[in-house]
Amino acid sequence: MVSQAVFAGTVEEEFKIEGLISPASPKALQSALLKKLAVKIIELRLKKTKTGWPVLRLQFDTETISREKIEKVIGEIEDPAGHKYKVHHGPLLANAPLLDEEQQAIAILGDTPEAFPIMKNPITDKAASANRGEKLFVNNCVKCHGFTGNGYGTVAHGFTTWPRQLWAWNNTGEETDGYLFWFITNGRSDMPPWGLILSENERWDLINYIKTLKNPGDE
Amino acid sequence: MAKTIRDPRIRISRRIKKDKVFKVKVKFDHPSFTGLGIVDAETKPVFSRAIPVSFIRNMFVYYGDQLVSRFRMSSAIADDPLFTFKLKAIQEAPIKVVFVDNQGKKWEASKKIKFKN
Repeated sequence: MVSQAVFAGTVEEEFKIEGLISPASPKALQSALLKKLAVKIIELRLKKTKTGWPVLRLQFDTETISREKIEKVIGEIEDPAGHKYKVHHGPLLANAPLLDEEQQAIAILGDTPEAFPIMKNPITDKAASANRGEKLFVNNCVKCHGFTGNGYGTVAHGFTTWPRQLWAWNNTGEETDGYLFWFITNGRSDMPPWGLILSENERWDLINYIKTLKNPGDE
Repeated sequence: MAKTIRDPRIRISRRIKKDKVFKVKVKFDHPSFTGLGIVDAETKPVFSRAIPVSFIRNMFVYYGDQLVSRFRMSSAIADDPLFTFKLKAIQEAPIKVVFVDNQGKKWEASKKIKFKN
């Protein structure tokens, strides 16, 4: 909280505001506040604030109005969208600590990493590797992802999630290698974990081939 | 968007046979919110933090005493989501789903499985 004395009894204070969710909200808040309290609005900053919350800066006389009173009045003002505003206190509780039950479940089933490992493609001869990868692609991937990698494989219609359009990886940089390798190795949704079926080199060959696939619409 | 959070509900087929795969549907009325909103500084709309973020973090599925699946979610989850998944009917035991949101609140629902011949 920033407090700056202007003269005896008059202070400037900041309030973080929750509930400004419609385009009409800022104006509604300010006009309602001026009607209810004898305060001066210095500014209502909506973006580029320290915490990300909109900040309302008010000047008021501490002899007649307290901060608690202002917070209470702000909490009574109704937004045009139909809810009430609130003064935000403390840090944003985005993620509470994991419950015991969650920790036990993660221990049993294993966790999914937040970030994919950064890996370097060990294969230097990309053209030869892509040739080898094409055979692997035809044998293993085409039935779901389609020959052109557009996701229209013959068995894809029965899946809950449509197979990825693999040409999207065309000409992507080396930074995507670890991501692709992780997905191919571990599988996702209907895709099995190919790490159990293909060797590490075969998976890298596949990645090199996938990166050569072009959008069929471009041709 | 649901304004109130209702307990999750489970729907399953009435005809479940032993060792066959059956579908489970779970509906949970939960007002997920990214916390972001568009506010307007007179003419220029800006995207800003509006209310605290709220979303379902985890869903656990128990079949009998065994934990069989975990669904991990982010703030991108829809309001009032409907989850559908398949299980193999290996025993006559209750299915239990447990939801935990990002604030650590917990909700549960369960349904008994009975085989029909």
